[in-house]
Amino acid sequence: MKKKKAKLRKRVIIAVVFAAILVLIATFSGVLAPNDPYATNSELIRQAPSAAYLFGTDNLGRCVFSRVLIGARTTIASTFFLVAVSFLIGIVVGMLCGFYGGIVDDILMRIADLMLAFPQMVVAIAVAGILGGGLGGAMIALGITMWTSFARLARSHTLSIKNEPYITAARLQGKSGLQIMMTHIMPNILEPVLINALTQIGTTMIGISGLSFLGLGVVAPQAEWGSMISEARAYIQIAPWAVLFPAAATVITIVVFNYLGDAVMEYRNAE
Amino acid sequence: MTILSGKDLNKEYVNRDRSVRPLQHVDFELNQGEILGIVGESGSGKSTLLKVISGIEKPDSGKLYHMGKEYTGQGPEKTGKFLQMIFQDAYGSFDPRMSMERSLKEGSDESREEILRVIGEVGLTEGLLGRRPRHLSGGQCQRMSIARALLSHAGVLLCDEITSALDVTTQAQVIKLLMEIRDKERISIVLVSHDLALVSMICDRIMVMKDGIVVDNGETAKVISEPSSDYTRKLLESVITV
Repeated sequence: MKKKKAKLRKRVIIAVVFAAILVLIATFSGVLAPNDPYATNSELIRQAPSAAYLFGTDNLGRCVFSRVLIGARTTIASTFFLVAVSFLIGIVVGMLCGFYGGIVDDILMRIADLMLAFPQMVVAIAVAGILGGGLGGAMIALGITMWTSFARLARSHTLSIKNEPYITAARLQGKSGLQIMMTHIMPNILEPVLINALTQIGTTMIGISGLSFLGLGVVAPQAEWGSMISEARAYIQIAPWAVLFPAAATVITIVVFNYLGDAVMEYRNAE
Repeated sequence: MTILSGKDLNKEYVNRDRSVRPLQHVDFELNQGEILGIVGESGSGKSTLLKVISGIEKPDSGKLYHMGKEYTGQGPEKTGKFLQMIFQDAYGSFDPRMSMERSLKEGSDESREEILRVIGEVGLTEGLLGRRPRHLSGGQCQRMSIARALLSHAGVLLCDEITSALDVTTQAQVIKLLMEIRDKERISIVLVSHDLALVSMICDRIMVMKDGIVVDNGETAKVISEPSSDYTRKLLESVITV
């Protein structure tokens, strides 16, 4: 058992290191980018990868490497922001529903059920289509359904602990519902909901890149991996690197964050 | 002087086509400094009665009084001012993520000196205050529960099967502690237990419950020597047989 836990801990550390590297790259992409990611150059159109342009150039002569780096910031930051906001909304709604129950619980959970009745991407495409293009619209479109998974999880954990003797003891000590939720329920349900948030990062990234790929997310010329793939697929046969590198960046980032989520979940389950 | 009383308490749980009535026309009285024992088998309604008395659950009908003043329908946030509960699951009665000191301070404005005095009174030491519940023994945890109740200065302790999860030696220590506290602080205690032998040893009065009905109620010696119901007689016989 100890050996298994040590192995799982090692997995978590490896995943954290890789995720941290990606976050650092995204944070310092402005410094790390060797060229201006938005500067077009008609003499450098669709240049193959070289020492000067590590990932080659695109249809407008822009440095793909610099755009992939800047795109990391857009993709990772928007994903983190969306997951964080959905997490906060979900945990608050879930706690309120689980703790107080009644009509508020009925209404909010039926709304959540309604959201979950359709595939997330279908709802997101419909909402993003209504809202028009732009990263903000794409985030709202994905966030509309995303909070529900956090809310349901937070609610079920709240239900499982709200009748614990220590909650009754806190009530007998004169604590209000809000105080109990902040002091006892939130800290005790935070971990499983947080692990769920980690596992959602990959899915959210696919969602944001997917909407950008469909032209419902980031608007040109802003660099974002999904929109870069979408732009470059028109000339994939003559400049495959313009698709390959942003696609590889997307896959690697999603794999790393999914791996991190799974590793943390398995480690906690083992504990 | 009657510190706590209940008149004609009724409670019913309805679950689809089935209904259970754990409390049926229950009356009780608890005097100052008295230990009232409530005994009965599982499902007799004794724990429900404690929940109703403490305000965790509301009775369907009937009234509850503290020092002659009605408090029916008040939740534990209010009843906690005059009563506290000691739970069967001592570990579960403390937040697993909190240190003992933080848990004890939660409902009390008392100084650290006072906390140290009270934990000393229940036979614990300062070194345990920094620990989380899982790092304490069952007996230590139960003593901490008693300390928490004492720090809230409640006049009534509701004890729900508090010794059933403890080993025999620790059971005796916790019961001795309760008796000492009762004598010293003049606290009134309601002791719910399925153990008639234990209850008859330490309680001033006994209430025997069966299927939500009080079938015997009176001075311990009288209930033991002249039980008025067959059920109490059978309970007594089972103790003697064991």
